Amino acid sequence: MAEPFTYGRKGISARFEDAERELLRGLFRDVVALLEPDERPDEDPLAALVGISPDASEPEDPAVRRLLPNVSRDDAEASLEFRRFTERSLRETKAGALRAAALGLEARDVVLDGAAAAHWATALTDVRLVLAERLGIRTEEDAERVHAVADWSDVGDDDVDAYLALVYNFVTWLQTTLVDAMMAAHRAQAGRTRGGNAPGAGKG
Amino acid sequence: MEAMSLSVATEPSPGLREQTTAGTDTAHLVPWNLVVWNDPVNLMSYVSYVFQTYFGYTEAKADALMMQVHTEGRSIVSHGSKETVERQAVAMHNYGLWATVERAGEDG
Repeated sequence: MAEPFTYGRKGISARFEDAERELLRGLFRDVVALLEPDERPDEDPLAALVGISPDASEPEDPAVRRLLPNVSRDDAEASLEFRRFTERSLRETKAGALRAAALGLEARDVVLDGAAAAHWATALTDVRLVLAERLGIRTEEDAERVHAVADWSDVGDDDVDAYLALVYNFVTWLQTTLVDAMMAAHRAQAGRTRGGNAPGAGKG
Repeated sequence: MEAMSLSVATEPSPGLREQTTAGTDTAHLVPWNLVVWNDPVNLMSYVSYVFQTYFGYTEAKADALMMQVHTEGRSIVSHGSKETVERQAVAMHNYGLWATVERAGEDG
């Protein structure tokens, strides 16, 4: 079982088993694949270079739509216009964070500085958003239902949803510990800025 | 999802208003809001962390806004020019939060 993220002298660190590393790498890779824009042979290379997608449309996959939401609740045209100018770079930023987190899994001990922790936080969030969409989590009650799937004895043969629920709960647990560690680092830094000497202040 | 332990302040701390994009006395001149919507996925602690580190809000103010999102379904977390709140919306989307922009006054 993984040792969760903690904040200490070295910064923010965690340790994973091989199977967990493999699982997380696969999840990061899957979400990167969802985020990669369709390459079109007739695309204007200059538009691509400056990050504009003139033909951007609202994603059909609800999971991708959740990762790249409309910027206006009720003005579809404004949302589309905004998407043309921002969606490509948002896709790239998210995919970059997921790739950076996957790369950090090469080492047995994962040690994060501030930038790496930020990559991990958004990567784990995006994984959870996609899994939640696949699991049909729309309400707090749905979330409770998924949270109740506690261990492998709850998973029958070919029970994909129960398996996904376990994966979701593992990633949720991981992110809970990461956010707590990031908050501890943030508080320590705020303490230093105010002139205090926070103990155990690492990088980050 | 387990709720994090929270200290919820009802009033922003003194000096906080200077940190936000517009003071209360000029709020009526500022036409756009950044709205963050509730979702059953994002951790309460994460939402508060984002509000603290991205907007520079105190923990008390960030927790109060996060609780408003959680209990009322949405919260106006910032306001300013259209360009400002659009930039902030992209940042929120990058964090995985569900954010929209709207003309101030649309929330009724």
